[in-house]
Formats: sequence, structure tokens, C-alpha cells
Amino acid sequence: MGTSSYSKTFIQGKTIGCPGIGYRDTNAKNDSSRILETSVIRLLPIAALLWIVSLSTAWADPSTLEEKLLSENRSLGVETPPAAPVDDLGFARRVCLDLVGRIPTGKEIKTFLAWPPQERRQRLIEQYMSDDGFADRFSAFFADMLRIRSNQEGGNALLAYVHQAITTDMPYDELCRRLIATNGKAGRTPEVGFVLGDDADPMALASATAQVFMGIRISCAQCHDHPFDRWTREDFYSVAAFFGKTRRRENNLTRTVYTTEDKMSSVMWPPEDESDADQRKPMKASFPFPYLDESEDLTFINRLEALRAAKTAEAEKHDGPSVDDLLATAGEKTRTRLNGGLGDLLKVSTEAKTDIRKIDVNADLYKRSQLRRQLAEKITSPRNRYFSRLIVNRLWKDLVGLGFVEPVDDFRENNPASHPETMDYLAEEFVANGFSIRWLVKEIVSSPAYQRSHAPRDADAAARMDLEKAFLVTPIRRMKAEAMYDSIVTAGHLFEVKHLAGQNPRTFQQRIRVAVEPSGDEEEKDESVEEEVEMEAQAMMAEDTMMASSADYGLERAIEIDFDALLSADDTSPMIDSMQKMSREQIEAMRMAASPTPKPGMKYITKLVERTVDDNPKFSSSYRMATPAPAGHFLRLFGQPARVDLGDDRMENASMRQALLMLNGQLTHQAARVGPLEPVYPMLTGSQRNLEGAIQYSYVEILTRQPSAAEVAEAVEMIQSGADELTGFADFRWILLNCNEFRFLP
Amino acid sequence: MPHENAGQIPMELFAMSGCNDYKMTRRQLMTRSAAGATLLGMPINQLIAATGQDHAAKCENVILFWNGGGMSHLDTWDPKPGRPTQGEFEPIQTSADGVQISEIFPTVAKQMHNAALIRSIAGTQGAHARASYNLQTSFLPGPVQHPGIGSVVAHEKEKQGDLPSFITISGQARTASYLGQSCEAYFIANPGDPDPYLKFPAGVTVAQGNERLERLEKFNNRFNRGTTDPRLTSTSTSIDDAVRLMRSPALKAFELDKVAPKELERYGDTAFGRGALLGKRLVEQGVRFVQINRGGFDTHGDNFTRMREHGEVMDPALGSLLEDLSESGMLEKTMVIMMSEFGRTPRINDGAGRDHWPKCFSCFMAGGGVKGGTVIGSSDEDGGMPKDNPVQVPDIHATICHALGIDPYKEVYTRQGRPMKLVDDGSLIDGLLA
Repeated sequence: MGTSSYSKTFIQGKTIGCPGIGYRDTNAKNDSSRILETSVIRLLPIAALLWIVSLSTAWADPSTLEEKLLSENRSLGVETPPAAPVDDLGFARRVCLDLVGRIPTGKEIKTFLAWPPQERRQRLIEQYMSDDGFADRFSAFFADMLRIRSNQEGGNALLAYVHQAITTDMPYDELCRRLIATNGKAGRTPEVGFVLGDDADPMALASATAQVFMGIRISCAQCHDHPFDRWTREDFYSVAAFFGKTRRRENNLTRTVYTTEDKMSSVMWPPEDESDADQRKPMKASFPFPYLDESEDLTFINRLEALRAAKTAEAEKHDGPSVDDLLATAGEKTRTRLNGGLGDLLKVSTEAKTDIRKIDVNADLYKRSQLRRQLAEKITSPRNRYFSRLIVNRLWKDLVGLGFVEPVDDFRENNPASHPETMDYLAEEFVANGFSIRWLVKEIVSSPAYQRSHAPRDADAAARMDLEKAFLVTPIRRMKAEAMYDSIVTAGHLFEVKHLAGQNPRTFQQRIRVAVEPSGDEEEKDESVEEEVEMEAQAMMAEDTMMASSADYGLERAIEIDFDALLSADDTSPMIDSMQKMSREQIEAMRMAASPTPKPGMKYITKLVERTVDDNPKFSSSYRMATPAPAGHFLRLFGQPARVDLGDDRMENASMRQALLMLNGQLTHQAARVGPLEPVYPMLTGSQRNLEGAIQYSYVEILTRQPSAAEVAEAVEMIQSGADELTGFADFRWILLNCNEFRFLP
Repeated sequence: MPHENAGQIPMELFAMSGCNDYKMTRRQLMTRSAAGATLLGMPINQLIAATGQDHAAKCENVILFWNGGGMSHLDTWDPKPGRPTQGEFEPIQTSADGVQISEIFPTVAKQMHNAALIRSIAGTQGAHARASYNLQTSFLPGPVQHPGIGSVVAHEKEKQGDLPSFITISGQARTASYLGQSCEAYFIANPGDPDPYLKFPAGVTVAQGNERLERLEKFNNRFNRGTTDPRLTSTSTSIDDAVRLMRSPALKAFELDKVAPKELERYGDTAFGRGALLGKRLVEQGVRFVQINRGGFDTHGDNFTRMREHGEVMDPALGSLLEDLSESGMLEKTMVIMMSEFGRTPRINDGAGRDHWPKCFSCFMAGGGVKGGTVIGSSDEDGGMPKDNPVQVPDIHATICHALGIDPYKEVYTRQGRPMKLVDDGSLIDGLLA
């Protein structure tokens, strides 16, 4: 082909699709003073051994953090003073969105304003941190980080587990150890969802554990030595070797998936493409990432150890056997039952499957992974700077708007932190405070850096960026997808119905497939085929390609998941495992597939049936939806990531599809409509009518502030120019829900 | 769809963020070459040639019929008369000299002078999910999600008109993954059904909705206070784009209820026929890539009854589409493809079915520069293995790209900063394009 300007020849020489060219490494100033080990030593003069053991988790004084930050700014030549803090109401809105993932209610604001000004902010932080919403919102944070997917084996159970870990403030190192090291059955042993997320593949898990928990991107080194970092291919394989014996298995009878250890399997070195098969030998697992010398006596580690010793002593006073003891016993019991012989069990009838499942649950079929336990210990060691820095950096980015290191999971010598001392101060305090996520969140939201206002609107782009990078102002942030969804539901009183029964009748047509006797009526034939094949298409195209359909406002709906049920699911109901990971469409497809198979020669017709339902609008929290939502869904359009690839951060772009959803969707429409069960209703009708009061009330409820006199006048004019006042009021609320002030955090 | 505004993300992050700015321009390549870089180990001038626009490229739009489940090649495009594997169907003559296809496609047969067949696809994947991934992306599943060919086209070809660049009908398309949200398919579940998101919600009049939009703009301007911060200003841009689409005359393309019954009849008044008709109307409005999905080809049992039924649905739709596109001249710049994830076994099983067969199968292509009346490659006497000129799956993608003037080897970056070619290697199929 003469016009072909490319040919096979120039690609054939290249087996690796990752040459690393064009990587925009603008941070490539190789500042040797920032090289990890050097800085660790420089930053950590052995402190005086005199320290006070704090038995309870102490809240560090946020002023220390502020001093570190400003002093680092000065050393970078930045003398500009920080911006003033955002005002009280702005703070309330910001911290509510950040801690519980929705806007504050009018009632919460009223309470907040009644508190003494000096203690308001701290009290509000305390209140929201003890709110149930806290675990919901931070589950979404960890779901992004850990790439939790509902449609993955054990995905929902893992999400529920993480939710519980946040609720109980399980130490972060412990949580991570469990995720890295646990074997078990999908769903039943929720932690195993992490390893199953990558199909227990050693190569994928080497990349994932290094990047997710330590911010080290070694995946490049799977195929070749890392182009911009120190990691070699051999390093990569030595990490993968920790996962070399772990295997994903599927039970032939129950179709349940689990992981276990296989002595015979190993990651082989050298790689396949470098060596003949007989030259390859099992790779020895080793941890190539440097961390602090074991023998070095460090204050923050001593504090951690003292804290833990005290906690253990406290626990021993009250508790019986530990969880590990209980698990060990459970394993014994199971072994006894299995000794009866597995051979008979394999011939079982359907009824007997239930018994096998019971055995499955606790069986030590799921052998412990010694290698992965070792890896988990190494990764989560208090001496591993990467581990504590990564989570500090991620949470700082999440709450303040910009990480010390960007991208948040790309720690490299030539990608230094903007404020290494501040970051390490937080990281050390986080460790010393028992790896408490709650401590870290509280420390950050209490800090002046978090509470600052934005750059002036008229600042030019460069000046604005400089201020943001020096943490002298906070970057403008859009609400996260889930927060936006839940905020609209909150503002519109849509968690509960707000209309009377029967006020929202909706008539719709439903297609139903009906079998008819073979009649030779050719006209009906095409329809029958069509229905059947469409159904099959649905069932087959599952996988990760599910898309939300815009038909019937499908982009704002979702299936709910029940965390409590997931963690307490009894083993006799494996259907729940499989149902929970399906979308509504899949379940529907399955239900239809279960109906009698279309027989050859048999004719089917499609009938349209009209139905009327009471469609009283009600929405549930996006934090309890199957996640991530299908492509095209509200949450995805507003940035919820697919959570398949590593480094898949939330995008904050605006797009046409977002606008279509906000302008024309049901969520904003129903939130704006006034319902008789809403608090504002009496202010708009009848003897209690007080239009200006209703406007002020809605401003506080939706935008968390009082309107100016001009804004009230404007709203009155708008409402009264509507077809009627309720319609005009819906217009007014629709605008408040759609405007930038609503979607961007103060 | 509008180009996504990246918000005010620091530039060094943005460069890695899987957004549009990783597109390498020729000038950037020159600069790099001046600095002594060689890319991909090939001479830099060759690479520049590779990224240049190919003026021979005629194709502007693509209509892809995705037949999910693994469509039998033997009962459609590659009949084997007189062999035990023939099955129930006889071959028929077509308008292309010497090209025979199955009797289930009498209407399509009259258009074969416009179309080409590939009869020697050497697939490697025998499971639905992996094979579908492979046929739709050219890649094999791995740690990175690869975008489908529709997203690649949406990414590379400038948007035309008001409608989204990539629309999928009656089923899913693959995600755009690292090509970004603007390359994601717009999903039409049921052709002909109205899309509620394209107009104000029920209960809001047009006048009222327009009034809301005007007032909203005032609110936003007041809040933005003249800022140039793209994070704030992009909301307005996105609303403008949405309103332009809502008010676009191009939306008429979706209104199949306004189509003359006779025309609908010609396509067969089925979901598939309506999908094909909608596909035609969408490319007329400038939509770059339309994917029309149909399932039910996994004919492990009762293959011949089911394939006959498929033929009855597909034949009028595909045949009329080709006839119409050819008559209007649109076929010159519109490529019509029908493909499936694999073929079916030559052996007919006890249930009169055929099982999965990836080692040799066929694909139909017409228009957009495809040489009409062509057959690429052939299978052995039973249709079990390619006899000559085996075609690899990525070759099909490379060829589609070539017809569109897209460099299939162009590199884009994943969110991880990893360079990825648009197509997993593969080369132009010789003799397929005119």
C-alpha cells in the first residue's frame, strides 16, 4: 500500500510498549538535598530522649503545623503572609462537605451560630467527626485509593469493611496489613477483596501495593528498568515474589471465589523475555525500598510503641481472647470437619451444597500467606517513611486541595515534596498517634492552612497558583461527585418524601414478552427475535463496560448496597454475593434469562402494558450506591473514577454532559420543586405566609449564608414573576442549586 | 462534545493527566529530534511522516455493527457449499463478481459491489469477554483499560456539528478510559426513545426554562466576579454547550417517529432496523462514530433457525443502509463495519449448534475508502483456518484508523504517565482500501 506511511517493521523490534518517551517530567531538577534518605537524616536530629508518654491520643497543637509551613515558605523565599481564614459560615459549609460529604442543614447552622464564637469551629469539627456520615465520606476516599469496585469479587464486602474500619478508627497500619496479607473467600473475608481486585496476580499486586500504599510507581519496572527512578526490573520481580504463592481459586460447586497459597508456584526470574525456561528460577522475595535504620532510636516511634503498649495493657484488663486466637480456633474446628473426607462431598446434591458452604467459610483452605505477612510488616512499618507520607499527602490533598507531592502517589527523587518538613511533621505525628486516620483528618481540618480563604478572584493565573502552592490560600474545589449528589438531596429534602401520597402519579408503558402458540403469523416474528437477542446482549456485555442509560432518567439512579448485611451475610446465601456485585440491568437480565428459554418454533410477542404508580420522589445517599456508578452516571460525570487503573484520580473538569444533567435531570428538578411536607411550605402558603423569610431560609439551607437585601429583592421579583409563587419558588431554588456558589466549596 | 477544561491544575500535573494536551505536534517532535532524541528507535523523519495527515484518507464517519456473542462466519460471509460443515444455508450470488454470501442476506447481496469481506481473521481469544475486548480495542485485557475504537476516533477526529462525536445504540460501548470523558460514548438505549436529558423536565415550560438559564447566568457572573479561573468559568462554557445541543436542529435525527413509515419498513421495523436508520441519520449530522449493538449470536444450539431469524432482521437494515448511503454519496466518507468477537466451529454439534471459533472468522466492511467487491484472504475448505493472507485483529483497527487519517501508532498517555499507542500495533490490510 503506497500511501501507508507506517509499516510493521518499525514496531516489530520493540516488544515493550512503554518507552517512557515524552514523559513530562518538569520536576526533573535533581535536587540532591531532597533525596529521600538524606532528607530523612537531615530532618531527624535525634531528639532529646525526654518525652512525655501520652496514653490517650493527643491532639497536636495545629500552631506547630502552621509554624513549620510558614518557616518552610520563608526558606523557599516566600514571605507573603497567608490569607485570612474563611468566615464562620464558609468554614461550616467547607468542613461539613469535607467531613460528612454533604452541605450542612439549616438546623445544624442554627446550632452552630448559637455556640460561642471562640469554640464554634472546634465543636463543629467534633460534631461532624462523630456523625455517621464521616465513615461514609471517607469510605469514598479509600474506595478511590484502594480501587474498590462493587462489581469485583468481594468488592462490596471490602467497601463495607473499610467503612467499619473508619467507624472504629482501626489503625491505618493494621487495616493495610490486613488488606495486603489476608487470604479467604470473597465477601466472607472482606479484606481479601483488595487482592482479588487485581485477580491475585503477583505482577499487578506488586505495582498496586507499591503505588497505593507507598506512592512508589514501580509498574514501569515490570517491563524494563524505571526510566526516571532507581527501580530496576529485578526490584519489581522481588516485590512480585511476595505474591508468588498466592492463588485465586474458584469453587466448582459454589462458584465462590477465594484466595489461598500454593507452595508449588513462584514468580520466576529472569523474566520470560530475557531468558530460556530452564534458566529461570524462583525469585527470592525482597523489599527493595529503603527505610529508616531499625536500630535508630526515634521519638515518634517510641511514642507509638508506648501508646500501643498502654492500649494493649488496657485491653487485657477487659477482654478475653484476641481476634487472632479466635480465628485460630475456628481453623481447627474446620479441619476436624473436613477430615470426614472431601471425596464424598463432591458428589453432593443441591441441598448438601449448603453444608459445603458452611465449611468453606472458615476452612483453612485459605492458607495464610507468610510471604505477604512479611511484606505487610515491611510496608506498614513505622520506619517506612513512604507509608506514612503517602497517606498524609493523600489526605492533605483531599482536604486542602493540593498535595505536598503531586501526583499524590508519585514519590520520586526528582519529584520532591513542596514542603517536606511540614509533610514529615504530619507523618511523624500520625505515626506517634497510633496511625489514627481520625487524628490526621482532625489535625488537618483544624489547621490554619485548611481554613484559609481562596485567592482573590482578580488574581492572575500565575499569582494564584503561587499562592496555592505555598498553601497561603486554599485552591477552589468543586464538591466531589458524591458530595454534590447528597447535597442536592439534602437541600431538596429528598431523603424522605415531601409530597403527599398520590400527588405524583406517573403512567408508564412496560414491554412484556408473551409466548403465543405457533400460528404462522409472520408479523410477530421479528419482534420475538428482537426481544430475545437484546436480553442476551445485556447479559453478555457485563464486565466493566456497564453504562448508565439516559432513558427514564437512569443517569441519576443506582442500586443501593447494605453495608451491615454485607458484613453479617450468613454463608447459606451465596446468591447475595453474586447479586450484590451486579447492576440493576444485570439482575434484570438474569431474571429474564431464568424465565423459560425461548423454544424454537415458539412465537413470542411484545406487549406494551400501561401502568400508573405513585412516583413520590425520594433519593438515597450516593455513599451507599454500588460503586463506582456505571459510566455516564451522575457520579461518574462529576469525577468518580473507574478505579480500574492505578493513578486514576478524580477529574474536576466541567463538561456538557454534567450541564445536561444539572439543567434537565430529576435530581435538581425534584429538589427545586416545593413539597407540602417541607419546612418552607408554610412560609409560602396560608396564614403563615412570609416570602422574604422563605427566601432567607432557603439561602441558609442551600448556600449556607444569609442573602443580602438586594438578593432578597431579586428573589422576590423572580418568584412573583413565575406562573404562581410555588412555581416561582422552584425556579429560585433551581438556580441556587445550579449556581457555581453551590457547587464550589467556600 | 466540548474539550474538557482542565481546571487550574498545575501544569506539570496536567501534562500527565491523560487529557488532550499530550497530543504531540509535529513541531514538538522536531524539537525533540533536535535535542537528539530518537523515538521508538526509528528515524525521526519517518515518525514525522507517520504523524502527518494522510490526504488519501477518505473516511469521515464510521457505523459499526457490533454483533455480540460470536457470529457464525460460515452461515454469513464465508459459505462452504458442498462441505459437511455447510449447514442449512445455500450460498447466493452477489452484485460483486465471484463473491458469494449466505442466502440469509438477499438484500445485502445486492450491495456487495460496495463492500469488502475479510475471510481470514486469525483471532486468539475464545472467551466472550476477552475476545470482545480484543475486537473492540485491538488490545488484550491487562492492567490498563484500553479505550474502544469509537473513543479513539472521537479523540482524534475533530467534532462536527452539535451532536456528540461517539454514540452507541442498543447496548454498551467500551469505556474511553485514558482518552477522557469527552471521548466516552453517548448511550441511546432504545433507538427512537426520547432522551429526557435533552429538554427541560416535564412541568417546566420552555419559556420558564429559558428564564431560569438567563437568571442562572447572572448569578454565576456575580459569583465569578470577572475571574479568569477556568475552574469557575468552565461551568458557564459547559452550560452553553449543553444549551446549544438542546436547541440544535440536529436533534431531529433522533426523532424516528417523524420518519415515513415506508422508510422504516425498508429497514425492517425492529430495534436493529431503527438502530441502522438512526445510525444513518446521525452520521448525516456529523457524528463521527456510531456503534449499533446486537446480541444473540452465541448459537451453541439451534444455530440455523436462529441465524435465519438474525438474517431476517439484519438483512433489510444493512442492505437498505448501504443502498441509501450509496445513493446519497455518503458511503464515500462513511465506513460501515459489521463484526463480532469470533466465529463459530465448522463442526455442527448435536444440538444443531456451532461453538466458539476464534481461529478463523470474517468481517464485513464497506464505504469510507473500502474497495467494493473485494475479498481479503480466504479460509480453508471447511472455514477452520485462514488459508492465505491471515489478518490479525489489530490490523483491522490499524486499517480503520488509516482510512480516517488517524495514525494508529500515535502515543497517548495513561493517567499513570505511561505511553500507549492508539492501536496495539497491527498494520494496514493490503488491498482493502481503494
